[in-house]
Order: sequence, then C-alpha cells, then structure tokens
Amino acid sequence: MDKNFQEEQFTGVIKFTPPLYKQRYQFVKYLVGKYKPKKVADLGCADCTLLWMLKFCSCIEVLAGLDICTSIMKEKMYRLSPLPVDYLQPAERSLTVTLHHGSVAHKDPCMLGFDLVTCIELIEHLEESELKKFPEVVFGFMAPSIVVISTPNSEFNPLFPGVTLFRHPDHKFEWNRVQFQSWALETARRYDYSVEFTGVGHPPTGMENVGFCTQIGVFVRKHPQTSESAQSEKPTEGVYKTVFKAVYPSLKDEKYLQNAVVSEVIFTAQIIKRSLLDCVVSEHEEYNDDPTERKSKFQPSMNCFSDNLGKLVVEKRMEPFVNGHVVYIPLTTIFSFPKVNQLCGTFEKLRKLIAGKVTLSSDGSAVMFNTEHENEEN
Amino acid sequence: QQPLPSQPPGRRQPQQPRVPPSVSEEPGGHGRQRGSQSVPQGRNGRRPEGLQISAGFQELSLADRGGRRRDFHDLGINTRQAIEHVQESKTGSSGIMVKLTTNYFRLTSRPQWALYQYHVGYSPEMEARRLRSALLFQHEELIGKTHAFDGSILFLPKKLGKKVTEVFSRTRNGENVKITITLTNELPPTSPTCLQFYNIIFRRLLKMLNLQQIGRNYYNPSDPISIPNHRLMVWPGFTSSILQYEESIMLCTDVSHKVLRSETVLDFMYSLYYQVEEQRFRDACAKELIGLIVLTKYNNRTYRVDDIDWDANPQCTFRKADGSEISYVDYYKRQYNQEITDLNQPVLISQSRRRRGTIMPGPVVLIPELCFLTGLTEKMRNDFNMMKDLAVHTRLPPEQRQREIGKLIDYIQKDDNVQKELRDWGLSFDSNLLSFTGRVVQGEKILQSGNVFNYNPQFADWSKETRGAPLICAKPLDNWLLIYTRRNYDTANTLLQNLFKVTPSMGIRMNKATMIEVDDRTEAYLRVLQQSVTPDTNIAVCVLSSSRKDKYDAIKKYLCTDCPIPSQCVIARTLSKPQTAMAIATKIALQMNCKMGGELWSVEIPLKQVMVVGIDCYHDTLSGKQSIAGFVASLNQTMTRWFSRCAVQGRGQELVDGLKACLQTALRDWFKWNNYLPSRIIVYRDGVGDGQLNTLVNYEVPQFLDCLKSVGKDYNPRLTVIVVKKRVNTRFFAQCGGALKNPPPGTVVDVEVTRPEWYDFFIVSQAVRNGCVAPTHYNVIYDTGKLKPDHVQRLTYKLCHMYYNWSGVVRVPAPCQYAHKLAFLVGQSIHREPNLLLSDRLYYL
Repeated sequence: MDKNFQEEQFTGVIKFTPPLYKQRYQFVKYLVGKYKPKKVADLGCADCTLLWMLKFCSCIEVLAGLDICTSIMKEKMYRLSPLPVDYLQPAERSLTVTLHHGSVAHKDPCMLGFDLVTCIELIEHLEESELKKFPEVVFGFMAPSIVVISTPNSEFNPLFPGVTLFRHPDHKFEWNRVQFQSWALETARRYDYSVEFTGVGHPPTGMENVGFCTQIGVFVRKHPQTSESAQSEKPTEGVYKTVFKAVYPSLKDEKYLQNAVVSEVIFTAQIIKRSLLDCVVSEHEEYNDDPTERKSKFQPSMNCFSDNLGKLVVEKRMEPFVNGHVVYIPLTTIFSFPKVNQLCGTFEKLRKLIAGKVTLSSDGSAVMFNTEHENEEN
Repeated sequence: QQPLPSQPPGRRQPQQPRVPPSVSEEPGGHGRQRGSQSVPQGRNGRRPEGLQISAGFQELSLADRGGRRRDFHDLGINTRQAIEHVQESKTGSSGIMVKLTTNYFRLTSRPQWALYQYHVGYSPEMEARRLRSALLFQHEELIGKTHAFDGSILFLPKKLGKKVTEVFSRTRNGENVKITITLTNELPPTSPTCLQFYNIIFRRLLKMLNLQQIGRNYYNPSDPISIPNHRLMVWPGFTSSILQYEESIMLCTDVSHKVLRSETVLDFMYSLYYQVEEQRFRDACAKELIGLIVLTKYNNRTYRVDDIDWDANPQCTFRKADGSEISYVDYYKRQYNQEITDLNQPVLISQSRRRRGTIMPGPVVLIPELCFLTGLTEKMRNDFNMMKDLAVHTRLPPEQRQREIGKLIDYIQKDDNVQKELRDWGLSFDSNLLSFTGRVVQGEKILQSGNVFNYNPQFADWSKETRGAPLICAKPLDNWLLIYTRRNYDTANTLLQNLFKVTPSMGIRMNKATMIEVDDRTEAYLRVLQQSVTPDTNIAVCVLSSSRKDKYDAIKKYLCTDCPIPSQCVIARTLSKPQTAMAIATKIALQMNCKMGGELWSVEIPLKQVMVVGIDCYHDTLSGKQSIAGFVASLNQTMTRWFSRCAVQGRGQELVDGLKACLQTALRDWFKWNNYLPSRIIVYRDGVGDGQLNTLVNYEVPQFLDCLKSVGKDYNPRLTVIVVKKRVNTRFFAQCGGALKNPPPGTVVDVEVTRPEWYDFFIVSQAVRNGCVAPTHYNVIYDTGKLKPDHVQRLTYKLCHMYYNWSGVVRVPAPCQYAHKLAFLVGQSIHREPNLLLSDRLYYL
C-alpha cells in the first residue's frame, strides 16, 4: 500500500541513475583522483557519507569533517573508524580522520593546510550573515589549493512538481546559474582563485536550457601559497570542538612497522625451519613405511626455498643449518624474502627493527630456534 | 534446531553481493539538511541501515511482532512458574559457605526510573525511515537530545507533556506532514524491552570506547598480542550482556579473546596448494575453510563461509540495485579502491541468515583475496604447539582475569562521553564486582568393590588412590586381538606385557592376545578384522602408527556397525615413552574394561527407581548436512551401566523425533534389566544453543511426555528435564585471604546470578590446573519430580563423578559426557547409527 503510493508519487518525475547525491560524491572522487590531494576537508559533512567514501582513496592522509550539527555526525561516525583488517594488515599510508563541530562562519586553525575543501550542498543552508563570512573563512583563511562548491540550480526546479519555493525547508535560498556564477567569480577574483563551472544531473531531452540539476564550481588557487602570507592574522585559538578522531594504523608508525617485520621474520624463519627439519626427519626415517607421502609433499617446497637461497649462498656462503636441537637461519636469508625486504628496505633497518624481539645467535647474524621442547604431545 | 536454509548457493551468475550496502542508497543529506534527501531521489530500493541503535532496535521491534530474530538470552521464557515446588524458593541448603566474587556489575538507575515508549505515526504516511527520523527531529526542542528511534518506535528517558502529541513538519517538497507521537508504554526497568534497550545502549558505549565489534563481542585492537610463529593475532576484548538476574539488573562481562589471522583466504589457499596433491586441493580447501568466519577488508562484517564456488571468479558480474551489471573486480575497485590481483581465484559463498533491513537473506559472494580468516581451524586446534602458545595468552588465572574485567568498568568510568551518555539516560554501573556467598557441597566418596576411597577434594581426582584396586565388575580378556604393524611389534609387545602387570590387581582375568601383524594400510587392517573377529572375540586392540583419521574411522565404522564388537585404538607414540608406559597401560586396561561392559567405581546414589538420561548433539559443520544426537540412559540403580543410542538427523528433520525412539528403547531395556519401569526419569539435555530454549520447552518436552504416555495407560513417571550449558560467561572467584582463587570443586551457586524466571543453578564440579574454572549452568525447565532443589543439585554433582574415562570429576554429569562421546564418534567417524548389539556397553569411550 505504502509502496504503491510512493511509486505513484514518483512516476513521471525525473529520476537520476545513479541517484544525484551519488553523482555529486562521484564527482568529488573524480577530483580526488585527478589532483591527488593529501589533505581533504568536507565542510557540512552531515552523516559523513562522503568522508567514508573518501577514506578508501589511497592518496589521502588527512581527512576532516565539519558540521554545525553534532547529532547527525555522531549518527554514523563510527564508520570512519579503522576496520579490524586495518590493524591486521596496516597500510603503507597514514590516515587520520577527524570530525569537528563548528560553523563555516568561524575560523579555526585546525582547518589550515588542506589541499582540497569540499562544500557539497552547503551554502544554500547558510543564513545571510554566515554566507557573507563564508568566502573569507574558506578562501581567505583556509586557503586550500582547491575548493569545490555545489548548490541547487533553481532553474531546474519547475521540473519538480512538488517544489513551490525551495527543494528543502532549511534552504535559505536557491540560486540560478547567473546568480551562482557571479557570486563565484567575484569570490574567486577577490581571493585570487580561478573557477570553472560544471554540474551533475542532466536535464531531460528538450529541456537542456535549464542546465544541470546541481551546479558545481571548482576553484583552483592561482598562486602557490607562501606559507607566511596568509598566516599573519590567524587566530591561534580553536573554536571548533573535536567530536571524533581516528588514527589509522600505518607502517609509517614504527610500532606497526616493527610488529609487521617481526611477524614476517618469525613466520619466514618458521617455514625455513620446518622444511629443514622435514628434510632431516625424512633422512632419518628411511625405513619408515608410512611417511612416504609426507616426504614427497614437502620436498618441492624445500627445492623452492633452495632456489630462493641459491644466490645468497653463493654470495654470503651462509645457509640455514641445524646444530643439535638448534636451528640457525641467517638474517641475510630472511632479508632476501620479498616481503621482509620490502618492509625493511635496508638490512640495517631489519636488524634495528628485530633487535630484542627475535632470538638471535651470539654474533647476531642468524635467527635461532630451539626445537627441543617442540612436538611434545599430551 | 534451526532448519538450514534450503536455497542453493548462486552458481555461474552469482547474485547481488550483499556485501557492501553500507553506502546508503539514500543521499546522506549534506550540509545542514539533517538527513533528508535532495529532491530527485530514486525510489529507495534498499533502505539504509539507519542509526546504529536502530539496527539493534529492529531486533526488538521484530521480536515484538513475533519475528524470527533469535534471542540469545532466551528472554521471556518463564519455566519456573509451572514448577510448583520451587515457587517459594529454589535454593539448596547443604555444604559450607564460601565467599565468592563474580564477573557481574549492578546496573543502577535513579529512583522511579522508567523508559517511555512512544509510537510515532505520520500523515500522510512516509515510507523511508531516514525521512521519518528527519521529520521527527525537526522537533528536537520537544523530544530532547537523548532519544532512540527506529522509524516507528521512539524511546525517551522523559515523559512528554501529553499522552498524544501532534506536531507538524514540512518535507522539502513543501508537503506538510502531521506527526502523532503517542505514549504506548511506560516501561519499568525490568521489562524485557527495557533490557534489550540497555544492551543496545551498552553497545553504543563500547563503540564510544573505540572497541571493535566482531561477531557478538567487542575487542580492543590497539594492543594486540601477536603470535608470529603461527601468523596469529589475538585481540583482547569483552563479552557483555545486561539482564535481569535474581535480585537486580546486572552487566555480565567476561574477558574474550579473538583469534585473528594476518593472512587472507587467498594466502591460505595458496599455502594449502603447496601442501596437498593437486586432485585433493579443492576438497582440502572445503574441509579447512567451510564453517570458518571471515572478516572483509572493506566493511566491518563477519561472514561464515558456507561454500566455495570454483566455477566463478572475480571477473563474473552481478546486477547492482540500479539494474546495471558490474564485475566484482570493477565493483571493489570503484567502491572501495580495492585491487583484486588474482583474477582466477574462486569465490566464497555465505548464506546470510539474517535479514538486514529490507534485504532478504540470500547468498553473499565474497572474494578470497579480500577476506581475512578468524578463529582456529580444526587442524589448528589439533596442533599441540599452537594451542600451547595460544594458551599462554588466553588462559588467565583468577586474579588476572578479575583485573582485566575490571578494566572495562574503568574505561566506562573514565570516559567523559560515555559518562555523559549514561547520565542522559539516567543510568550508571556499580564500580565493584558483585560479591556474595555460595556453598561448597560435601565431597563424594568413591566406592569400588567394597573399598571406600577418600581423595583430596581440591584436586577432584582419585586416580592415585584407586590405582590397582579391584573393579566393581571386571570383564575377562579371554579371547582378544592385538593388531599392529611390523614397525610397532615391540610397542605392541610391551603393551601386552604391561597389561599383564596391571590387570591382576584390578581383577581382570587376561589371556595372551592373538597377535596379528598387518601392513600399514587401511584395507589391511580391515581384512585382518574380517578374518579374525569371531563371535567370541572380547575386544580388538589396534596399535596405529600415526594419528591419521581415515584408518581410525574405517576400523571404528566396521566394528561399530557391520561387525559389532568393542575396539580399542591406540597410537604407537603414546605407548613409546617408558616413564609413562605403566600409567598408560592402566588407563587402557580400564577403558577396555568399560568398553566390554565392565564397571569401575560408583558413588552413593540414594534415589531409587530413577533412570538418568543424558543427551548431547554433534553438528557436522563441514558438510552442514547432518546433526547427531547422542542419547544415554542409566540401566541400574548404581548408575554404573548405560544404555546408548543415537539419532542421526538429516537436513530439515527435527531432532526430537529420533529422541523419542531413543527414549522408547531405553525404557524397554530398563525393563529388561530391572523387571519394572523407572518411576522417575531425569533428563540432562546438553547441546542446546543460545536462543533455543523456547524450542526445547515448547516442542521437545511435550514430545517426551507424549512418548511416556505411549508406554502404558497407567505408566506415569515423574519427569525432570535439565538443560546443561557449559558455555557460559559467568565466572566465580573464591576469596581466600586477600587473594582470589578458583572456587573449589563442589561449589554450588543458586542466588544472585541466577535468573528469577528459571529454576536454575551453577555448579563448579571440575578442577583446573591453569586459567579460570568455568562453572556449568543447569536449568530445570520441567519438573514433576518434586525433588528438593538441594537433592537435584547433589544428584547432579554426584553424576559428575561417574565418567569412567577420567578418574576424577568432570564438567558435566557423566551421561552428558557419554552422550557427547557417542555423538562425536558417530559424527566424526561412523556417520550412521551404530549396531544396537553394542548399546549396553560404553564402546564409544
């Protein structure tokens, strides 16, 4: 019943695929792909959907959201927390996500130094006084390299049957293209930005003259900011309140790097150890009538390791060996494994990272395992 | 027993992966739109997940409508009210008092606290939940900042001025909507709805503390324990639930450890590929992976692997909600920037069991490369070294465990946001763990052939005291087989010699075995058995050279079904250590004696004419096809002989039908043994999952009664049904001087942490050497027996002494442990009902 009602209500009405809000976000993602910004702020981030989409963009290292309403931010902000997997396999890049509570009419130093600032469907919610301060805060104070602003195009409104005044009761105004563009051009001129206009939501055929449903201005700062110039009259005091902060685990953080390296070293060493011991065992148990299958199973993997080691053996004249109950695996061997190599970069770094975390031989050249107490079963 | 979904997994044309609907289809209202949409919205094909709190709410509202969400706490099932003699009191009396601390915190609320439940109606009707919330919260000044709303039910900590409040909101289309907020309920703190509400709020708090939800519990990812030898990572965390307990509403929280693996399913498949032969690879994958829980790289959900589709790969396409076709590769690249590098990997299928919003349950397709493994595989569990390495971190002694538990309350009390949230709702938690008094009942004397043995009750073990003592009933080894491979000739011979040494004092008469050498192949063992087993054979003992399961399975299958005689398998290595050889031989002699129908010891059982039944289930997670219920019933007064049967239940069949047949045969056999029928039947039912109590009460118990009625017109025995639960989060710590220790065996708790609507109690029966002892929970769900609670508790504890494979006290009553053993053997090795000729012996030990 309800469903039919809805369908009826929307038949014959313009419907965008994908939905318009998605097209706007997609546009931001496209900009991110194009300019590869490291620090991105979303003003009027609402329920953080755009921020959530952006956290998957691997170029971004700092993400910030700002909204005047905390409850809407809090609703889904935990989507911005790292996932279990982010801890299991820390990424190369670092990422910090912060949410602030505050107004775009106020300056706060936490918004400085951003590469891209997005204001998606924001300005039409601003009171006149706020709108007046907005350019100074965003372009004058924050002064990012790129600003993207989207807002409804009122020329499109007649195509929506229900819309009498504005598309949303909270809208303070809705501009036509001329209004938006003259505001944007004036702002760009004053703060030394260039601006280009585009939009999303194509009008139906025959109605092209109304323009995009959502109009978008992309502002690019003309001159690279000299760090001093803008800094002069910056307030040092913050007025925004931090609502949420998440620091993603990253290999840039020594703690996570060390964990990753130690894990990889021990795991690699274990594999080598096991294949070494299997070799020893199968030699000793030739008379055994059962483990034939076992031997053939493990030999190929042994070969594969010898291949890997081959070159090193020649160079360093060192290879893993067993001495009584103790297995020695040279660090050089371990370093030659791609994953370890990639994580550490240099042999020195490897030594430094595993110091004190992995048992080494007396001269520090090999990982040592004592196998005496293993394989004891109940 | 939940019927398994019958829908086959999608093949070839994999369906919509329901993996990623975290992108809500509704535009997340930007700027200050407060969650409403921009104008031209598509019809919302899928509804967004909504507020976190609402996700919990859906359960609640569904349950209110009699929905099918499973309630893990078995709320609202009041079984005590039907049991007349425990209306006044359900507590026992015997034993000495012991001071206990437990892992519970009291929830306190301000006086006259209540939760106000409102129904919110819209005119004209609004469909989208987001829109409904947005419209409602245009009136925040009326409703207040503290609220929980799921689209139609609104919970507030305060009462609105009027019973019915009407307000008007305006949609962006300029449409005026009348919202009617009607008070439907004033919920007292103890109402079930309120309890569910507390749990939802509490989960919110755990999130605020930056704990990660995995499955039902929350974990702290910032301080993981890494076990690189096995590529494991362990996250410490907490289980939590808030429920109405005997005297008050409390939070029960325990330390939980999540084992995660720092490798993807694809990594795992690769390493498996190098370990097994090509043709066995797919089977090996299925065996290791199916049933495991995986975590995805891109969202915070866990999925159970139900199948692997080898015909599909990441390049297959699926239809998105908007109708367009997209390949998995492109989808994950576009949506989550996730690169899939191996385009030939198969895909994993997970049957989602739960409705998520409006999305119907159906197969979910997962890409191995994007999934991480969690938990342990069967293979890992059997890896002694790995389990040892893990136990170091996960088995916490009482003091440490109590400290870890205390941390949660600490976190809660130190976090300002959490405190604020609690204050807003008018709730708070006690800062101390609950303390109270329990009882330690008297230890049991072990009776064995006229001898009475006392032992140290702290250790709950009498193997030393009874070593070499004559058994109650010793079965002779006149004619028996000892089968071994050539390599193990010496081992077999030593075993034989040792058996000759240990059996005389037990009273077991023993002839030399028929020694048979075989090749180390399954067929060779079977051939020898076929040739050598005669009707006079007492038992066949096989010395196996490795723990390979196929050989063991084949031997057990043959000797339990086609050729029913008792059998004993032993791995050569177990026998090889000279220092333990005698102890092992003793153990084997005892076990063989039980398998042949002998009796070892007994405890004093004052109840007469009672038949005790034990039931446990084994679920075949691997093929997901069948479940097996083991059924064991006592045959004599001393509870030293047991009848057994099992019910093999196929997909979609109800377990209870099989159980009825079991009970019938058990009564028939009892009659044969005793020449009368039992006047009392006590059923210990193990293997009941969380949330299945309802089925048991409403379906299984009536079927038992039905079955008893069918025996005879005037046969009207007293029936007691007790649900046994080993997996509980409750822990007790005994206060000894200033220190906390494990409570001694025989500790009974029937106050404070039990549930008022149940006739339930806890018993700590076993002793553990390291870590914390886990109490067993007993819930008497049906009782016409009229036994005093104290007697039921005592009998239960006595039965924990009667498991013959362990000369000590075990965690559950012996019939449950026997039933478990039987179900496990049948489920793992035999796969069909064993021959009934064996049914009066403990052949499954």
